[in-house]
Formats: sequence, C-alpha cells, structure tokens
Amino acid sequence: MPSIAEQLPHFLTYYNVEFLLKAALTTLALSLSGCVFGFVLGFAIAILRETRMLMLLPFRVVSVVFVEVFRRIPFLVTLFLVFYACQVLSFDVSVFIVATISTCIIGAAFLSEVVRTGFDSIPIQEREAAEAMNFTLAQVLTLIVIPQAWRVILPPAFAFFLSFIKDSALASQLGVVELTYSAKVMNNKGFSPVLGFGAALILYFIISYPLARVGLHMEKRLGIPMHRRP
Amino acid sequence: MNYTLQFGQVIDHLPYLAGGAWLSLLLATLAFFGGMVIGILGAMAKLFGGRILASLIDGYVVFFTNTPALVQIYFLYFGLPEFGIILPPFDAVLIGMTLNSGAYLTEIQRAGFLSIHRHEVEAAETIGLSQLQTVWYVIIPHIVRTLYPALSNQYILITLGTSMAAIFGVEELTGRALSLNAETFRSIEIFLITAGLYIAVTLAANALLIFTGRYYFRARMRLF
Repeated sequence: MPSIAEQLPHFLTYYNVEFLLKAALTTLALSLSGCVFGFVLGFAIAILRETRMLMLLPFRVVSVVFVEVFRRIPFLVTLFLVFYACQVLSFDVSVFIVATISTCIIGAAFLSEVVRTGFDSIPIQEREAAEAMNFTLAQVLTLIVIPQAWRVILPPAFAFFLSFIKDSALASQLGVVELTYSAKVMNNKGFSPVLGFGAALILYFIISYPLARVGLHMEKRLGIPMHRRP
Repeated sequence: MNYTLQFGQVIDHLPYLAGGAWLSLLLATLAFFGGMVIGILGAMAKLFGGRILASLIDGYVVFFTNTPALVQIYFLYFGLPEFGIILPPFDAVLIGMTLNSGAYLTEIQRAGFLSIHRHEVEAAETIGLSQLQTVWYVIIPHIVRTLYPALSNQYILITLGTSMAAIFGVEELTGRALSLNAETFRSIEIFLITAGLYIAVTLAANALLIFTGRYYFRARMRLF
C-alpha cells in the first residue's frame, strides 16, 4: 500500500497523463465511429427488412442472417474474425481500422434490431391506412413511421453507444492503443496495477457516466406516456 | 487472395473446442445466478432500505455499469495481489463477472419490483389473502412474468461476455480457440468454427429459455 502512494507522483507526470488521455480519445473515437456507421447501416438493414419486393428477397435473407449471426458472437471473437479475415483477404489495414470495422458490424447488427423494434412500435393500422391511401413504402416510413418511432429508437440506441464504449476495451487484445491497452502499458512500465487499471477505470467512468445521465434524461423526456395507447 | 480454407486440422480438434463451450456455459450460469442474488438483495435494499444503504447500492450500480467488465477483471486479477489476495484466473473472472452482472441485474429487478401496481396488492388484500399469500400468488408471478424476457436476454449477454475469460487464460471456448490457433495457425478457420459454436450454444440456450418462459411463466418472447 505505501508503494502505491509513493508511485503516485511518478505516475501523474505530464507524459503519462497525456498518454492516458490520448488513449481515452481513441476509445471515444472507436465507439463513436462504430455507433454512427453502425446506426446508418442498421437503419438501412431495418428498412430493407420492411420491403416486400421479390427482387430484394436475397438481400433480406442476407441481412437477417447477418443480424442474427453477429448478435450471437462475442465481440472478442468478432474482432479476431475481422482481424484474420483481413489477413486472409490481404487487406493491409491498421488494427484501429480492424477494431472500427468490428464495432460497425456489431453496431449494425444490434442497432438494426433497435430500429426494427421502433418501427414495430407504431400501430400496424396506421401503416395499413397509409397503404390503403396508396402511400409508397418511402412515404409510409418518412411521413408516418419515422416521425413517431424516433422517440422509441433513440434511447436504446444511445444505451448501445454506451455499451460500445465498454466493449471497445476488448480491442486492446489486438493492440489498439485505447484506454485499456494504455493501462496495460503503464503496468508494464513498472507502475502498480492498482494505479494503471484504477486510472483506466476512473477515465472510463468519467467518459461514460455523464453520457449515461444524458441517456437517462433523454429516456424521461422522450418516453411515450403509457396512457396514450390502449 | 490466394488462400484456401482448410478445416481438416480444426475438425480433428472439434471435441476439444466444443468442450470449451461447456465451461463458457458453466461460467455464465454461475455469474448469472450470483448476479441474481446480488440483484435481488440490491433491488430490495434500494427500494426498502434506508437512504444510506440505497445510495451505497446506487454507487455500486453506477460504477459497475459505467466501466468495462474487462478492466474490472484486470483490476481484480492484477490489482488485488498488491493487497495480498491472489486469485486464480477462473475465480477472478467469475468474481468480476458476477459483480458486473449483479449491477445490471439490480437495475433490471428494481424495474420489475416497480412494475407492481398498488391496486393489485389492494385487490389481493380485499379478497383476504395473507401477506405471504400476496407475495407468493400475486407479486412473484407478476414480477417473474415481466422480468423473464429481460433476464433471459441478460443471460445470453453474459454467455457472450464469458469470452473475456480467454484473456486471463481460462480454457473456455474462446480460450481453447486461442490455444488451438497457437498450435495450428489455422486462424480464420478456427474462429469461424468458434463463431459457429457460439451461435449454436446461444441459439440452443435461447430456445430453451423461450420454451421454459412460455410454458411456466406465460412470458411472450420470440426467437428472431
């Protein structure tokens, strides 16, 4: 215990703190890019699943399989799969890109389900009425479904963004220099693991907690009152 | 792109890999039920305990849900020896995952307790049920039915989370995949098969959970 207190001044030098903060930014960039691209892709998948054209059937099947497969594989295995797939296909990309691709993949898989749940939350009668009035699918979605469904979609999508921040810790296994990896580097430098991993825990908390509060606030503000629908 | 997939070597080791799935499931089940105990106690303490106890539980939940499970386990595995507590990898992972899932399950179960309406309890009193009967026949069936889908979802998430144990050298599914990889270097084939095994395991677990839910608790769930 005294050794930890002794090490603290050496631990909190400018370069160490800068290194940790940069790593924290990498963590944020990784989860944010994964969430944004994942959301766009997930939205596309959810819309694809709403189409009924026979021509698009193969795409629908592929997207359903994609979603069901990647929701059932641990993120660590997804990371290794993407990593070795890049190797096999001889793409020369950095580990950061590999981690981003993996986050995008699971983001698309999970968020497409969130979007689909949002679409499903709109009473089917409204859509049937719109279809009866000869609205196209694009019109049904943009004029009727999405304006109502985004309040259902946004809070869980934000919760997934938070979970990606935590999942991105696994990217340290590939050697992406993010927060967990930087803590390991600190550990290897000879600092006490309590300091290194403790600092990582605190930084993760500092990133995640305010966002969690925002998410909670959003959930309350956007929450649809229970009595509006029978 | 001159790579031909060769599964031969991996197929030979398939029983070894599949054996790891049992350890994954065991780890997930232990962590889940440990987390359930923490969750029930935590939810009770948050709702009926005093203000101090409630804020303590709140701190625990907020801290564990806002930091990655991986770093928590790292802290337990590498940090605790500084204080003279040396945990074997399996125990460190199990304790870390139990504490982590306990935090999530506290929140889930608190929501379940809150879903009970006063009217239901009042109605039970009106028809003359005793307090114990109210808990047994009214509150518990209601809570179980509302919580069952969320809980089984959490169980599947914990099962996927157990792959983290591989990092600490536990020989579960991902751990065995990594050691096979070091032996044979058939990387992509090994991880494809590992992914397939995970899908099979979680699908089977999910189907079982949905069947039990429908049959015993009349919980409405769907597989896809």
